[in-house]
Amino acid sequence: MSLKPLLRKLFLVDLIKGLKVTFNYQAPSEAITEQYPLERPVIFERFRGQPRLNSNPDTGESLCIVCNLCALACPEQLIVVKGERNPTTKRKEVVSWTYDLSRCMFCGLCAEACSTDALELTQDYEMALYTREGMVLDQAALERGQEPKRYEK
Amino acid sequence: MFDAITKYLSSATTPGEAGSIFWATIYILIITAGISLSVIAMNWLERKILAHMQIRLGPMRVGPHGLLQPFADALKLLIKEDIIPAEADKLVFWSAPVVVTMTAFTTFLVVPFGRTHAVTDMNIGILFMLGVSSLGVLGIIMAGWSSNSHYPLMGSLRSSAQMVSYEIAMGLAIICAVLMTSLQTGTGTLSMIGIVEAQASQHTWFIFKFFPLGFLAFGVFAIAMVAETNRAPFDLPEAESELVAGFHTEYSGFRWSLFFLAEYAAMLAVSSIAVTLWLGGWMRPFPNWLSGSIWNLAFSLFPALTLFVLAGLCLLGTARMPKIPQMKIQTVGLGIFGLLLGFIGLVLIIPGVRERVQDIYWFVVKVAFFMYMYIWYRGTFPRYRFDQLMKVGWKVLLPTGLAVLIATALWGLLPQISSAIVGVLP
Repeated sequence: MSLKPLLRKLFLVDLIKGLKVTFNYQAPSEAITEQYPLERPVIFERFRGQPRLNSNPDTGESLCIVCNLCALACPEQLIVVKGERNPTTKRKEVVSWTYDLSRCMFCGLCAEACSTDALELTQDYEMALYTREGMVLDQAALERGQEPKRYEK
Repeated sequence: MFDAITKYLSSATTPGEAGSIFWATIYILIITAGISLSVIAMNWLERKILAHMQIRLGPMRVGPHGLLQPFADALKLLIKEDIIPAEADKLVFWSAPVVVTMTAFTTFLVVPFGRTHAVTDMNIGILFMLGVSSLGVLGIIMAGWSSNSHYPLMGSLRSSAQMVSYEIAMGLAIICAVLMTSLQTGTGTLSMIGIVEAQASQHTWFIFKFFPLGFLAFGVFAIAMVAETNRAPFDLPEAESELVAGFHTEYSGFRWSLFFLAEYAAMLAVSSIAVTLWLGGWMRPFPNWLSGSIWNLAFSLFPALTLFVLAGLCLLGTARMPKIPQMKIQTVGLGIFGLLLGFIGLVLIIPGVRERVQDIYWFVVKVAFFMYMYIWYRGTFPRYRFDQLMKVGWKVLLPTGLAVLIATALWGLLPQISSAIVGVLP
């Protein structure tokens, strides 16, 4: 063994270096834990969470034109859209819209396929439920979206 | 009654020397309570410090900054179902945690927290401590054997092998310190109080004596004591990743908490051996350089100052608490705790109390340093492999300890040797 590694071993240089690292990590500013319900995490812009059906902000009408592209794009086939043509306006209008959240993997293909920006995967993530009921969202639930729950003890 | 108390408090002997069973009992009760309290504090501190070293926060929810977490844990452990495996040897299984706890606590009989603050001053003090504390391994083997399960048995066998190999290096390091006590008087002492008084009369802590020999002996002891208490990086007997929990795998509830208590009490015990032998026991820092009445006064104010700082931190925390109704009880509690600490600090300023308490304070501060080092090692070093552990024990620590012992003896004999040589020379 040459001299330098021997001396390193003898004076425990590597151990002391390691001790220094952990000592410096003790500064409270180093902690990266976030206290979840009290402080909410920063969600990235392209995060895909709870789906939402957008409506026209001026008129309040749904932006969905029942083209069925989302249902066709969905690999899980969990979107079922039924529509009817309105004889006066000659436009298709939604009769029923269901989105089965329990089977969704948030791939975002439906939102990509949507031709009118009606369907969108938002950045809301608090979708946990105690039962499977309520996981199939209808049009009203999809349009309402989700209000973040405030933490109370 | 009051006269008896003041008369006793002004005496300069330990209760054991004075032959006072009453005061000895009180000291034992105080020490037992103090150790249990410091184990609770250590539990919280270890989780917090370890968490911060791993860039986490640690317990935050039970009480402000998780201050009540150890109490919640203790409550949980006490009301937990106490399981004894059907195939276990009931009697041995039952008595193992008792043996471990008893030995860990018995060692504190001779720990000198101050000149008068020890239960008794045995003339074989250090030998007694080593003997009783190594009895603890018997409890560990009993626990591992009686569980009638593979992992606990493996854990306890590892523990016994480890203890046997590190006890030797530890003993050699301790003999170095004991040799140093004989330097001026010619007769060494094994009494814990005697060792500290030898350091006082030689005007140096033994860690700085015969530099670097004292330091080397201390280093050997500092490594061996981590292995002796089965702590990281030598925690093979309870290696979570290999042996579930080692010798206490089958234990739950209160029995498990006894093992926990014993582990921390043993850590405190070996730390106090190290403090007594090398770091000047209860003596305050720099008794020679910074001597004189002014410095004495300054150093005697340290206990009160420490408590004031702690109280200040608590009150600062109270002021910074979130102002929401759910936090109200916690805020008030923290405020009261801070005021309590401040009040204790005020009591410690009183002249009579001040002089009486400062040696305990310095001893505790030095032990606390070692406890921090334990946590620091645990947060930093990965676990040794078993053959590496044996290699360190037998091939590194044992020869080093022997060499340091021989060198210390020769250095101590240097005056006699040189005078003999001078006498022989023409």
